[in-house]
Formats: sequence, structure tokens, C-alpha cells
Amino acid sequence: MDSEDDMHDANDAESLDDDFYSGETAMDSDDGDAADYEFIDNDSDDSDDLLSRRSQQNYTILNESDIHLRQEDDIMKIASILSISNVAAAILLRHYNWSVSKVNDEWFADEEKVRRVVGLLEDPRALPNVKELTCGICFEVYSSDSMRSAACGHPFCVTCWQGYISTSINDGPGCLMLRCPDPSCSAAVGQDMIVSMASHEDTEKYQRYFLRSFVEDNRKTKWCPAPGCDYAVDFIVGGGTFDVTCGCSYSFCWNCTEEAHRPVDCDTVSKWIMKNSAESENMNWILANSKPCPKCKRPIEKNQGCMHITCTPPCKFEFCWLCLGAWSDHGERTGGFYACNRYEAAKQEGVYDDTEKRREMAKNSLERYTHYYERWATNQSSRQKALADLQQMQSIHLEKLSDRQGQPESQLKFITEAWLQIVECRRVLKWTYAYGYYLPEREHGKRQFFEYLQGEAESGLERLHQCAEKELQTYLTGGPSKDFNEFRMKLAGLTSVTRNYFENLVRALENGLSDVDGHGGSSRTGGTRSLGAGSSKSRGSRSKGAARSSRATDDSAHWSCEYCTFANAKSATVCQMCQQRR
Amino acid sequence: MANSNLPRRIIKETQRLLSEPAPGISASPSEDNMRYFNVMILGPTQSPYEGGVFKLELFLPEEYPMAAPKVRFLTKIYHPNIDKLGRICLDILKDKWSPALQIRTVLLSIQALLSAPNPDDPLSENIAKHWKSNEAEAVETAKEWTRLYASGA
Repeated sequence: MDSEDDMHDANDAESLDDDFYSGETAMDSDDGDAADYEFIDNDSDDSDDLLSRRSQQNYTILNESDIHLRQEDDIMKIASILSISNVAAAILLRHYNWSVSKVNDEWFADEEKVRRVVGLLEDPRALPNVKELTCGICFEVYSSDSMRSAACGHPFCVTCWQGYISTSINDGPGCLMLRCPDPSCSAAVGQDMIVSMASHEDTEKYQRYFLRSFVEDNRKTKWCPAPGCDYAVDFIVGGGTFDVTCGCSYSFCWNCTEEAHRPVDCDTVSKWIMKNSAESENMNWILANSKPCPKCKRPIEKNQGCMHITCTPPCKFEFCWLCLGAWSDHGERTGGFYACNRYEAAKQEGVYDDTEKRREMAKNSLERYTHYYERWATNQSSRQKALADLQQMQSIHLEKLSDRQGQPESQLKFITEAWLQIVECRRVLKWTYAYGYYLPEREHGKRQFFEYLQGEAESGLERLHQCAEKELQTYLTGGPSKDFNEFRMKLAGLTSVTRNYFENLVRALENGLSDVDGHGGSSRTGGTRSLGAGSSKSRGSRSKGAARSSRATDDSAHWSCEYCTFANAKSATVCQMCQQRR
Repeated sequence: MANSNLPRRIIKETQRLLSEPAPGISASPSEDNMRYFNVMILGPTQSPYEGGVFKLELFLPEEYPMAAPKVRFLTKIYHPNIDKLGRICLDILKDKWSPALQIRTVLLSIQALLSAPNPDDPLSENIAKHWKSNEAEAVETAKEWTRLYASGA
């Protein structure tokens, strides 16, 4: 019964308002401005504004104490509605996956049945009223005051209870559903009884499982999947995107818990991830680039030299790479050592066609995959780098820059903004490569439109990244410069242009590229959060993007560089290949 | 050596198994290891195993009674819940184990399993399939095996 009182105390001490704000403070204190920035992107951070912003979001970040409070709160709610103890309420809630409404419904539909299923006895029985009792586990006789029982009155000695409880806790989360050891009895063993008899260490484990259950068994909550992150995310399903940014600044998809992948859908992402890890790609490579030794069948890659192959020991078989026949058969007769006419002749007869074709196909499909994978992976690492740069920017460089250029740090927000945009764009760009891989070759128009949008977005991003990375350096190392304002204009401009490009891209992909024929798709709701711009603005840029798309196919959409002849997107002012000005 | 440390519970259970054996079941501890039991179960009447004598081994692990005893058929038996190594698919030997169960209750449950094979929760896929597709024939095979492997005690 002690623990029950504790629960009351804990709840009395902190009001619900504290609950709300404790989540906020935990976020602020821990992790950088990146997280803040997501929510507060203007300078006013009075709590009213904050509140309204949070309520617009369809998810809430919970730290450990938030989870505790919510759990206690639900338990209290059920306990008071059903007039049962907190311990019993906890058992009920766990059984119905922490759904308060489900508990209510089931209980009021058929209380008796619920009690039976969950193991809550209507009228608890005390231990049999005798001086001495036999423990049902160790068969020893004890005085009744050293015996314990659950609500059913089946007596077991304290030592056996301890063993029973400890075994169950160390077996895993099943301990949350512990029942009386008597096999014919299904009485639930409550938290109070467990805590009163378990060791300190086991109690901690049990409490851990109890807390985890509230997150893991609950349909509305999930742990943040970032390594080492202890936050959970409470998500309101319905409407808008699944993308969630945790208090630890990690962005993930609440639906599939992979990293955030908007605008690409969960299925594509899972296929892509599977593909990346699949052994089949290795097999494809081996198939495309090697031949098995005709004798020992080990795959051999020919990376240089002549057609005379000697397999590695212990096989040491010598053969001709072209016809795979023994080298000993080769010589003048076969058209000389360096031209295997057997192969040429057989090839003419079509003997090798099938295997060659298969090899060719595997090679093509592998090349195609490699093309997309490389770009996916490059953007991934580029994003990691940008994230690190952003952090360094915030922790060191901004202050330095503020000193050097004599600018208050509040005036340098545009730099953080640029970097946040880069990080986000790298993420989007990365996933568009997975999208591109699965976009069918035959959908010509869509492919072209997609590649155009992707190309525009990409070159915009490259310019932005270049500017934020390289051009900033001069102002970091040199003294105050009058060009700094110009730089500010440029970087802020690039940030907003790039944002527009990416919004176009994201919107087009989310519409399944239905704009190909020039129609405006449905407008998106609640999705601009991570990319940041207001809807009126994006509407403007959308029509721009659609207008451009019609020109995407003719050459006027490009200009070729005078120096290197690279065909640049029309919007680029600097050659993407050689960096020469137009 | 280990026997000198034998928990009272095991001693009591052993004594009771020897003094009041359950009908159709005998269990006696090995001389050199009191945690190892040689078990014999008679095939229940009106089951395909009737007339057979089935040998089993039962071992009480260190954690017993907090952990379930380990039991295995030594005699070959044609049964959907028993595989060819003699391992038994029985809930109380796994997740439904409770320390309030005993050797006696376990053996009685195994005896009951012989009376009521459960092909819906099979350990031996082939036998279970056989049982479900043609029960009469499967029962015949079980009888045959009983005669072949479990008759000479």
C-alpha cells in the first residue's frame, strides 16, 4: 500500500501545467538551437506564441518525467472513474494497452468479464486464518505472518515470492502481467506487492518495464529511434505528414520510424533500404564482373592483363578468359595466344548469347542502381557534414563572426537559417534519389519533369552550400568587411531561392508528379513546417515551377558553359562544373 | 555432492513420488544425481498408446522450482506434439510454468497429452499433417509404433 500513497504524492506535487512546461524546458536545456529553431522562427518567444505553435503541431515530445506524469494521470483517471485502487487501475490499463477509453468501454460493458480476464478479484480473500501454513512452492511450514498472498489468498512464503518475482522480472516485460503462482488461479499480482518484495535492482527493472510499456504498448506513442535518445513522441494520427522532429533534433517518420523521408513514401523507403542492404546487390556485382573458374568455380574478377588466366592456389588452373577453355588447348590453332577465335566463332554461332546477355543486363541494372545509390549516399554524408558544420557554426563560429564583423549575434541568424536549409535540403534530395530509382523508365514525361525539378533543386542547393561553406570563410578570418552586407543579401537570397526549389520538388513528388500536364495539384496542408515558407509564397513559386516545366524539354532551359561546355540549368549564374561565371 | 545441498522441496517431492505414485506413472531419482529422474508412463487406455510403456528422462535444473523441469521421451513415439528427439511441446514446460506446479503435475499433464494429441499446435510438422489429413491412419501408425518400440519394458 505504500507505493500507492507515493503515487498520490507525486501527482499532488506537480500540476498539469508543470507537466506541459517540463517537456519544453527539457528540450531547451538539452539540445541546441536547432530544435528551438524548428518551433520558434521569429524573435518573439513569449509563451502565448509558443503555446499556439505547439498546439498546431500534431505531435508532442515527451521526456521521461512527462511520460511518468501522463501514466500516473491516466491511472488516477481510471482509478477515480471506476472507484478502484491505483494498482488495479494500472493492471487494467496495461491490459488494454493504456487506452483509457477502451478500459472504460470494456469495464462498463461487462465488469465481471473484465475482472476475470485481467485477474482482479471482486472480493479479495485474506490468508487462511490459521497459525501455521504450508508454502505451495517450497512445501515448508511457516507461521502465517511470514506468508504472503495476492488477492486470492493462496499462501506462499516470502522467500518463494521473492524468487518468483525476481525470476519473472528477469524474464522480461511479462512481469507486468504477473499472476498468482497457483496454476489454477489467475489473480493478478499488483505493483505494490512486487515492489514490496523485489530487490532494489529488480524494482528498478520493473519500473523501467512499466514505463516502457506505457510508450511501447500505446498506439499513440513511440520512442525516438535515435541512438541514446530517451524521448518519446506522442502523435495524433490523421492529417499532414508523419515527419517528426524529436527534442534531440533527430527527424524521423513516425509511421515507419526510419529517418524522415518526406516527400518519398514509407514503402519506397523500406524497399530502398532493403535493397541497399540486400545481398542481391553483391550477387549482381559478382555476376556482372566476374566469371567462375571453369575448374573450381570460384568467381574471378579480371581487372587487367591478358586473357591467360591462372586461378589462385590451390586450383592453379590455367584457362582462357574468353572461351573458358583450358589454356593448354590454345596456341596457333586457336588464332594465336591473344585472339581466341574459338570464342569469336562460338559467339557468332550464338553460344554465349544467353550468359552474355544476362551479364550485360545485370551490369546495366547494377550501373543504374549504383548511379542512384551513390547520389543517395553522397547526399547522406553531405547532410551529416552540414549538420556538424551547423553545430560548429552555432557553438563557435557565430560568436567569432560577431566579433570580427562587429555584428550582434542576433543579426547573424541568416547564417543558421542557411545551414538549416542545407541540412533539410540534403535530406530531401537524398530521398529523391530513392524515388528516382523506382520511377518507371517508361513514364517519360514524369521522369523528365522529375529530373528537371531535381536538377534545379540540386544546383540551387549546391550554390547555397558553396556560399555558406566557402564564401563565409573570408569573413571569419579577415577583419570587418563592407562586403558583409552584400554577403548577407546573397546568402539569404540563396536560402530563399533554394527553399522555393525544394518546395516545388517536394510538392511535385507528393502529388505523384501529376503536374506533368501543367495542372496544379491539390494544395498541401500542414506540411510547410520543415521547409519553412508561407503558403502564399509557395503558391507563387509553384506556378513558376510549372511554367518552367514546359520549357524543360527544349534547349532554352539550359546554357552551355563557354569554358567547359557543360550544360547548366538556366537559373545557374555560375557553371556547375568549372565554377566560371556565365 | 550436489545431493547434499538438495532443497527440501525436491526431497519431499521425491519421497511423495515414491510413496504415493500417480496411477500409470513411476519416477525414481538416479542414484548418482538426485536431480535426474528415470520416468515411465503407461500408455493411457483408449489411446493409440495403450499397452505401451514409455520411458522418459526428467531433470530438475538448478533454478527449479522457479524454472521448469526438463523432460524428454526416450522411447520412440508417434505423436504430433513430440518430435523425433523426444522433445515435448507442452505449455507448462515453457511459458506456463509456475513454481506451484510439481514433477507429479508435469507427468500427469504428459500422460494427458498422450490421451489427447493436439495437432493444431504441433512440434512434429509431418505427424501433425498426417493427423489432420487422415486421423484414422495416423492413429494406426501410432499403435504400430507403440507395438514396435514401447512394448518390451
